[in-house]
Amino acid sequence: MTTQSLKPRQDSTQTQPVPAAAEPYGPIVLRLAPAVRLTDAQLEELCALNPDIRLELNAQGELELMPPTFGFTSNQESGINRQLGNWAEADGRGLVFSPSIGFTLPNRALRSPDASWVLKTRLAELTDEQKRGFLQICPDFVIELRSSSDRLSVVRRKMDEYMENGARLGWLIDPLELRAHIYRPNTPVEILERPQSLSGEPELPGFTLDLNPIWEPAF
Amino acid sequence: MTTQSLKPRQDSTQTQPVPAAAEPYGPIVLRLAPAVRLTDAQLEELCALNPDIRLELNAQGELELMPPVLGFTGNQESNINADLGIWARVDGSGLVFSASTGFTLPNRALRSPDASWVLKSRLAALTDEQKRGFLQICPDFVIELRSSSDRLSVVRRKMDEYMENGARLGWLIDPMELRAHIYRPNAPVEILDRPQSLSGEPELPGFTLDLNPIWEPAF
Repeated sequence: MTTQSLKPRQDSTQTQPVPAAAEPYGPIVLRLAPAVRLTDAQLEELCALNPDIRLELNAQGELELMPPTFGFTSNQESGINRQLGNWAEADGRGLVFSPSIGFTLPNRALRSPDASWVLKTRLAELTDEQKRGFLQICPDFVIELRSSSDRLSVVRRKMDEYMENGARLGWLIDPLELRAHIYRPNTPVEILERPQSLSGEPELPGFTLDLNPIWEPAF
Repeated sequence: MTTQSLKPRQDSTQTQPVPAAAEPYGPIVLRLAPAVRLTDAQLEELCALNPDIRLELNAQGELELMPPVLGFTGNQESNINADLGIWARVDGSGLVFSASTGFTLPNRALRSPDASWVLKSRLAALTDEQKRGFLQICPDFVIELRSSSDRLSVVRRKMDEYMENGARLGWLIDPMELRAHIYRPNAPVEILDRPQSLSGEPELPGFTLDLNPIWEPAF
């Protein structure tokens, strides 16, 4: 399975006049400084003006722009958030944030993980200033769901960044290659082939994410 | 040919876990105003800072961002410019501009056609102000070569825009659907299936573009 699934569009090229790209291009990275320097308020306004674009900022202050996810990915993302939300509500110690949230990480990158969870005790420590606008905190737990427009190397770099900025657990779920990548700080990445489910132990006690809806899409 | 080639990646979906999008997403359109208002100087600096991004501005002042073209398209684009350039040099009445040129059209859109040609007599009429930075003129002749990341409807809209802004002839060359679309102001678009060549008569007297290298790529 692995070798074939690494290049998911390659099969179609033989019958087509122009080959599709082996891998998606990934986000468009727009360098702004020194031509334009955005204030936090301008950046928030920019996000509000462009609800369809997934807009992030890397640690170098460059805008990273991604097209909207396809229907497929969006449905899976919603399912993951529902599972995490159900557990978090019963657990009670933390809050779940949807992909439209913006987190300003300690390295100044602005990121919007597909699903995230933050301990209430950490949220309570934020000043009013840090709560307003983008949340100036790194989530304790993040999930990134690779969509067909996401370049794997780019998402992996993003997972590394979460770990370097204070996340305690991260899952990169890749429906294109049917794999899950488990990230913990200062630990080698663990890659699982088509796992039925993932356990959040010990960081998220009692949380189990059912991955069957990811590997076998509903439509 | 036609029905199949309209959805060039559709064939691959049956054997793959996640279907690719039927059509590329097209450019990312970033609404800037009122959060950010770019001066012409800032826009030029932004282009210089991001040489890999194809950066245009639509008539509404929104940034349109496209990833770099793939190697394939880059070679075809270069061949087209070479052919047009050889003819233009012999003809002598106009100048050819490469794909990195920015034209500010009368509707204020900033566009960079893949190949373009402007009469010298019209260029001479520009003030020094209009020659500096982006060229404040609509080319007499434009070619757009559809790349695999271009959405056809978006490129067609762009061709309409050139015609509405003063271009006298436009060719949209589509290697994915093996077609050429011929645009003239106030005339219905003429669509040709895999033409061997296109003639620039009467607007570009004596110019013929050989399209075989487009339909049968060199590598």
